[in-house]
Amino acid sequence: MRNRLYIFITIYIVLTDIAITALYLLNEKRVDAYVAINILIYYTSYAITRPSIPTSRVRFLNIALLLLFIAIVGYRVYEVLTR
Amino acid sequence: MINRVLVLGINIVVVAILLAVYSFVIMDTGLLGVAISLALVGGVMVVYSTAPQDPTTNFLLNYSKNLVNVLTSSLEDLDLLDSKIWIVRRSDTTLAVFSRTPCLEDVDPGIGFSGGSPYIAIPIEIPATEYTETAPVESGEDVERMLRSLLIDEFSICRNVGVSYEDGLYRVTVIGLSSSLNEFMKYPLDPYTVITLATISRVLGARCVKLVDRRSIPDGVEIFIKVEKD
Repeated sequence: MRNRLYIFITIYIVLTDIAITALYLLNEKRVDAYVAINILIYYTSYAITRPSIPTSRVRFLNIALLLLFIAIVGYRVYEVLTR
Repeated sequence: MINRVLVLGINIVVVAILLAVYSFVIMDTGLLGVAISLALVGGVMVVYSTAPQDPTTNFLLNYSKNLVNVLTSSLEDLDLLDSKIWIVRRSDTTLAVFSRTPCLEDVDPGIGFSGGSPYIAIPIEIPATEYTETAPVESGEDVERMLRSLLIDEFSICRNVGVSYEDGLYRVTVIGLSSSLNEFMKYPLDPYTVITLATISRVLGARCVKLVDRRSIPDGVEIFIKVEKD
């Protein structure tokens, strides 16, 4: 279980570093873009490695990140529709 | 708690906070995004550092093996090693029973005699989840869905579960056993059989659920179960 957790952390950090470096070099100024990509990377890393830590804190984190992602996407969609 | 991951997570959060302060000073929202992203990474690591440590898990596995050894010795002494396990449900408790005569009416937790043969009855508890507390189900597909929810989503002790119903028997195929729990498959009482029998007993509302056969297959196990309802 611990090996899987370490692999998850490694993949998550590597992908996040690549993504935020790429976004910064592309001169991305929207803060929510960084956060949304980070959340996507988190779920992708989780799906790949399945660290399977069934604690209540991890469940709460998963739900909180999902809600944050929905809020970000919802806000952007609203912005486009009302432009 | 995994201290190394906790310290690393806290450090990343601290660096992210400093980066955020700097981004405010130089008025760069891109850098602020980087800082928040890093803070998110640090926060995730702090949360995951609360996972139980391997030494605790290893101790629990060792402790469980000792208990299973005691049970196996008791079964040997009572000449019940060849008997198959069955589950009986009462209103207040669920018992896993080893006896030569299956589905005995009168069994109590512990060692006893009933129907002319000795038995060992072990009270077991399967955590109640939303998946096992719904109305009783009938089809093999529903049983499969319940077992998937429990064995894969809830406990993550296998990779795949398949259930088929033919000739009055449920055939449960469990693939991708956990490497830690795989060692228990050589004992009369293994976690996969117990949790499968108990879950089927609960979701089908059955009076008695018998293990008919258990076969090891590559990277898995096939469990054949007969259900007797009231």
